[in-house]
Amino acid sequence: MAEYEINARGLQCPGPIVKLFNQSKTAEPGDIIKIEVTDQGFKKDVMAWCKKTGCDLVELKEENNVISATIKKN
Amino acid sequence: MEKKRLIVIGGVAAGTKAASKAKRENPELEVIILTKEKDISYAGCGLPYYVGGIISERKELVVRTAEDFDRDQDITVLTEHEVTKIDPQAKTITYDNKVKAEIKTMAYDSLVLAMGASPVLPKLDGRELANIHTLRTPTDAEAVRKLVDAGKVKDAIVVGAGFIGLEAAENLHHRGVNVTIVEFAPLILPGYDEEMSIYVKNYLIENGVNIRTGVGVSGFVGDETGKVSGVKIGEEELPAQLVIWAGGVKPNVALAKEAGIEIGPTGAIAVNEYQETNIPGIYAAGDCTENTHLITKEKVWFAMGSTANKTGRIAGLNIVKEKADYLPGVLGTSIVKLFDLNAARTGLTEKQAIEKGYKVESVIVPGNDRAHYFPGYRQINTKLIADSTNGRILGAQIIGEGIVDKPIDIIATAISFEGTLEQISRLDLAYAPPFSMAMSSTILAANVLRNKIEGKYKGINPRDLKKAVENNEIEVLDVRTEAEHFLKAIPGSINIPEDELEARKDEIPQNKRVVIACKVGKRAYLSQHRLRKLGCNDLRIMDGGIDCYCYDLN
Repeated sequence: MAEYEINARGLQCPGPIVKLFNQSKTAEPGDIIKIEVTDQGFKKDVMAWCKKTGCDLVELKEENNVISATIKKN
Repeated sequence: MEKKRLIVIGGVAAGTKAASKAKRENPELEVIILTKEKDISYAGCGLPYYVGGIISERKELVVRTAEDFDRDQDITVLTEHEVTKIDPQAKTITYDNKVKAEIKTMAYDSLVLAMGASPVLPKLDGRELANIHTLRTPTDAEAVRKLVDAGKVKDAIVVGAGFIGLEAAENLHHRGVNVTIVEFAPLILPGYDEEMSIYVKNYLIENGVNIRTGVGVSGFVGDETGKVSGVKIGEEELPAQLVIWAGGVKPNVALAKEAGIEIGPTGAIAVNEYQETNIPGIYAAGDCTENTHLITKEKVWFAMGSTANKTGRIAGLNIVKEKADYLPGVLGTSIVKLFDLNAARTGLTEKQAIEKGYKVESVIVPGNDRAHYFPGYRQINTKLIADSTNGRILGAQIIGEGIVDKPIDIIATAISFEGTLEQISRLDLAYAPPFSMAMSSTILAANVLRNKIEGKYKGINPRDLKKAVENNEIEVLDVRTEAEHFLKAIPGSINIPEDELEARKDEIPQNKRVVIACKVGKRAYLSQHRLRKLGCNDLRIMDGGIDCYCYDLN
């Protein structure tokens, strides 16, 4: 099982979601993608993303204005 | 010389303000406030927050007590004294002292009517059941809070989706109550255009509040102990152990009407800009009076605490010195916070402006309240409405999780000074990253609207876009990235990212009007030039982009 980490801090939309989209294309089912983002719109985007792709949103938290999401590809 | 006496009827915002101002201007004046209520000078707008527990103590709701007025200002306050008659010829009032149960008469030299407004609760079946409340006085709020504190409310129905209703619903939701808002009108939040109102509705639903629009309450159902247990909506019955009736208020004018004081076209007391009624020596202020709309010059009635304080002050000043000050009119400026969403408005809506016969142009422009690289910035969507013949600003609505009070106040100020879009875009506004974008969201919106009026692009409002999609009149070309389009898009839209337009030009729809869509409008505007080069000329840009589109996306 591979684990990918994406630093998308400082990127405005659509930067973070594009990075997640591209990483997800190369990832295998069961892989974990961790992404850190400062763009506020990302919270809603990542929830919608997981719903649409059937990925698990393992964790979504916000600390010091940094949003961290952990996603498991199914 | 005998002291002159001012009598003020009503003791909330306008009444106490008028009394205080008159006394400050002329300390020799004898000032008496009579109110039928138990409390005076209370924060009516704070009541929903008392229900929610954000304001914890009842006494915090009462700004000043009767004793404070007597001790600090030598103003006599008679609570639970209901004025039952005004005799303008004899210059007397008759009042009912409810504590002592006696009726007396008192003479005045000048009079201020500040009777406020009262909730309108129609005579529906089951109206007499317990736990059906309005939310107008601290006593109302206390009753609601006690019920919630006792854990007796699982489901609540809030009837009416104005400010008080929406705020009450949010506060009840915070208390763990399952809340449903029932609104007779098709839209919530009066004073906003459809696409802005639906945006707020969607946000509330996402936060767990149920909303039913376009349906009326036909009655209430009770249990065997006489308490409300449900609300009837047509054939349907929704469970409710608490009902808050926030279905609108009406100015209290009966007393004035009987005394021969003129009532205006809005149903509130008619006053001129000096707060004078048609009877010399009788002034009126606050929620029981009507106002003049600054733009249309028509009579309007907005029951707002901000206006009540101003008109009360003006009445107080003019009693001491005739025509010392005046209020030329109002814009219906208002603001509301619902969960983390802020919404503010001023002036005319697009719909109202069209109805009034203006040649209207409008835009919706997403922006940020602070620099996009400054931590904690939030998006705000500005809808700006102007007269396209002269650029005069007619109104604005701003919605978002960011700061909206500053931009709405800039625009309200501009409208008050009959400002134009050009003047807004040239304003020297405060900027540093923690406070604003370098190009403030308000200036940005003004510039976009100028571009539109000057014909640099043609836009399409979300409402019209929805209809055009349904009627298959247009093709939507979405120039965002594949990832964004995958996430949410207009049903049936074609996705060609902006940097692939030339390479994929064969996929661009021909012989049909093309609406260019992107997230906020910027990429669509820039793509327009590239598309024209490719021979596409019947183009429209989606106002506000996908971010401001409140209808179904897939």
